[in-house]
This record gives sequence, C-alpha cells and structure tokens, in this order.
Amino acid sequence: MSETDFVWVASLSDLPPGSTASVEIEGREVLLCRTSEGVFALDNLCTHGAARLCEGKLKGQRILCPLHGAAFDVRDGAALSRPAVTALASHPVSVNGDDICIALVE
Amino acid sequence: MSQSNTPPGSARASGPAVADTLASDSRGAPEPLLEQCYEFMGDEDIDCSRYTSQAFADTEFNRLWNRCWQWACREEHIPDVGDNYVYNIGPYSVIVVRSAVDVVQAFINSCPHRGTQLLGAEGCGYSARFTCPFHGWSFGLDGALEGLPARWDFPHVSADTHSLASVPCETWGGFVFINLDLNAKPLADYMDVLPEHFSHFPLERRRIRLHVQKVLPANWKAAQEAFMEAYHNFETHDSPNGANAQYDVYGKYVSRFIHNIGNYSPESLDDYPGDKWRAPPLTENQVLQIMSVFGLEHDEVPPGETARSVAAEDLRKRIGAALGVDLSATSDSLMLDSIEYHLFPNMFFFPGITVPMVYRFRPNGEDVDSSLFDFIILEPLPDGAEHPEPPEPIRLDVDQSYTEAEGLDWLGPVYDEDTGNLALQQQGFKTSRKSGITLGNYQESRIRRVHMTLDEFMKEDAE
Repeated sequence: MSETDFVWVASLSDLPPGSTASVEIEGREVLLCRTSEGVFALDNLCTHGAARLCEGKLKGQRILCPLHGAAFDVRDGAALSRPAVTALASHPVSVNGDDICIALVE
Repeated sequence: MSQSNTPPGSARASGPAVADTLASDSRGAPEPLLEQCYEFMGDEDIDCSRYTSQAFADTEFNRLWNRCWQWACREEHIPDVGDNYVYNIGPYSVIVVRSAVDVVQAFINSCPHRGTQLLGAEGCGYSARFTCPFHGWSFGLDGALEGLPARWDFPHVSADTHSLASVPCETWGGFVFINLDLNAKPLADYMDVLPEHFSHFPLERRRIRLHVQKVLPANWKAAQEAFMEAYHNFETHDSPNGANAQYDVYGKYVSRFIHNIGNYSPESLDDYPGDKWRAPPLTENQVLQIMSVFGLEHDEVPPGETARSVAAEDLRKRIGAALGVDLSATSDSLMLDSIEYHLFPNMFFFPGITVPMVYRFRPNGEDVDSSLFDFIILEPLPDGAEHPEPPEPIRLDVDQSYTEAEGLDWLGPVYDEDTGNLALQQQGFKTSRKSGITLGNYQESRIRRVHMTLDEFMKEDAE
C-alpha cells in the first residue's frame, strides 16, 4: 500500500475524542471513530442487520449497533457480541496534523 | 478446652477492642463506627449439604435469587438514554436500561414471542430500542412492544399483552438494584442501617477504579464466607492483627466487621500457637513497616506518634492529592481500617478510603461447586466531578492468579491467599464425616446470620 492509496476524509478537529462520524468514499459508507487509542475507520453498516453504526454508540474501544446492540472492536472490526458474528471491514488510517486519511480495503 | 462461665457469645479476644482503638485515634470516627450490635444467635452446626447439594442450589434459584434484591450494575455503567447492562444470575437474565434521562428500568431478558434472549453476554451495551435477533420483534426502551413483522398473523398480540416483563428496579449509593420478585417489598425495607450509615460515606460519589471478576472453586456461600471474618488472618495471611476485630449484626439483612489496620495487640494472640508477634511483640516501627505497601511517606514513627496516626496522616496527604479530594478531616479509622458491610445475600460495601472495596459473590451459572467473585475498587470522586466511563472487568478463570490482574498490585497475593483455601474447603465438605461446619459464636456470627435469613427465603411461603 503506498501513500497515494490514502485519501483525505475529514479533519481531526471535527472529530472530538469519544465521537464518531460517517463519511462516504467511492460510494461506500465509512465510520470514523476517535477513541483514547486513536482514530479508526470501519464500514458503517452493521454486518448483522445493516443498521448504520454512526447512529449507535461508541463505548471505549467498542461501537454498539443501535438496532440489536451488537458490539464491534473499533480497532480491528472484530464482532464481539451476538447477534453479529462477522467482523466489520477495517480500513487503515493515517493522521497527519489535522488531516485524517484512510485507505479503503476491499 | 472449656472456657469460663460467661454466657455464649460474650467472650472476646484479650487486649484492646476496636472501640478502644477508635477512642484513642488522632481523629474521631463517625458515629456509625462507634456503634456495636451483637447478640448470640445459637451455636448449632451448619449443614455441609447447603454448599454441595445441587437440589439445594436449585431451590436457591427458585426461592432466593428469584426473590432477593441484588445490585446489577453501577449507574455510571448506563449514563445515557439507551445505555443498558445485562446482568445474569444463575438461569436468569435481566436487562437494566436507562430509558429516560432520570429513569432506570429493568426487564426480563427474554422475547415475549418465543423466549429468545434479546441481548447476549453480561455487561454494558447500547441500543436505541430492543430488537429480537430471531424474528425482529422490537420494543421501546420502556419495554413496550413497538414493531411486529407480519402483525396480520398475531391478532392475539398487543403492547398490553406482549411488552417486556418489567421487574422492580431501584438505585442506592450509585448501584442499580433489581429484584426478580414482582411483589418485592421496597429496597428500603431491606437495607436496615445501610442508608443511615452510608449517609456518612456516600458511595454514589465514588467511581470504579478497577473491576476484577474471577471464577472461584467453591459454592458462592463458602466463597463469601472466606471474607466475612478476620479470624483467618493469622493462619491464612500470616498476619498479626484481626483477632480483635469487631462484628456487628443489624437485623436480617445487614452485618459488619471493623478490623483495625495499623495497630496491634499481642494479648489478642495469647492462645495462638508459637510466640510469633507475642514474644517479643512487634514495635510500632515494625507495624508501620507492615503498612509500607500502602505507600507511606514515613518509614519510622516519630516520637509521640503511633504507627496508626502516622500512616493515617501520610495517606490523607497522598491519597487526597492523588484523587483530588479533601481528606483532612477524615478519621483514622476510615483512612485505614477494613470496614466491611454485608447486605444479604451476597453484597459487600467498604466505606474506607485505603480499603475501598465492593464485593459480590454469585453462583457461576448453575454450578453448585463454583462461584463468580466480582471485586471492585470504588474510589472517592472529587466534588463536582462526573463519573468517568467505568473500566471493563478483568476476567480471571478459576486457575488464574490475582497477580495476573493489572492494577491489583500488592492486593494480588492477598486475594490469592484468601481464595487459596476454597477448593480444599469445597472438597472437604464432601469428604467430611461430620454433617456440618462449626462456627465461632462471635467472630463467625455474620456467617450464621446469612444462613438464618437464607432459611427464611428457602421456605415456600417466604415473604
């Protein structure tokens, strides 16, 4: 993966610690999460019920789906609780100064 | 080995009692700590089968856990509307939810359609409504049935008949309590002196610093009883104090011990084996040295001071600065002592500053031979500060050591000692040719009180 794969998606100053935001890149909804451990990017649609995770809640390093409460680890997208069993796609993030850039994975 | 002719339960260890220590402290203790409340409750053995019989455990699920108040989580676990906490006890599962800014409710975690649990594992969660993962029936945060796919097929179903089953839910001291008995008496009827006593030590103004949850290899009652007396300190912890702890039993549901830390009476050990700590007795400097694990400024007791007064003052400064709280008027006793209140059946609250724990002991699933021990350090919060998000529990399995839990520090080996006898005891219950265990009249009185109250619940028609 080269630097050119990363695209600018948001400003760090618009994403306070503990908050989330959804952005659209190449027709794909991506969820940005800023936690105590950094900025992470995941697919925005829950792998179980396709609800929008940006309408859920960020707790620590977990994002919780507003529909069934399924939890995912924002650091790698792992499904932590039922009813979700499939991980969310997790996209590499690069933060330079105020710029948040991500590289979409398949 | 017969004792004197004094009435049973009236004998005490030799040397100064807790009340004598509190009276000679550098700062007076709050009123509740000066009270004493004990009466002899009998000396019959407690049947071993209460700890080992699956039939007894099953009856406990039906008649005890189904009917007693128990805390499920802290309020800081569910700060925002939609935040929930799943609490499991034996076969039962409850969802606690903040359904409105100032409203906390509890519901049976089971869909009224075909019974599926709405939420999975125990712990914190969030959802804007509850949606069953099986057929998608959905419920508002107030439990009301909202969404019913293919409603045409369910003319017999409505919000009146098929909303989530609500169970009694109340808060006290920052804890959310639930009761699976729809006709439960109010929590206040169950708390005896706790609200009055803890008005001096408000637990709602504390935050969870550390939460460790461990599987223990013994019945939940045996596990908690390892923490209800300080009689074991000499043998289990190789510790010189504990023999003169004070024990109080307040009615059916609440009991207490006060175990002084930082003082020591060689007389209290006068019939213990060997000369250890008695001849020669420990010096005040040696007592201070034992407390060095607390992180003290002094390593010697200045003239005119005691180890207890020096340690209390060092800790007022160090913990006060670390937490941003003013402890300048806090009594020596609250600063140092292990002061442990028990609320029936399985909850412990420590108002102390250096010893600020909360314990909860539960059956591990439905297994009679093991239990789950929740250990929480509940630290004072500065005035005006909001509760931070609580840490996730560190989970330890039965074979793991408390020394593996980051943050427990010097307490790790102590809790390994406390729990190290449990497997031996659980097996010992089964091999014993004596039908019951024997309790000391005073030091183990709190254990007896729990069994007496448990007997009341185990009756079919208990209140």
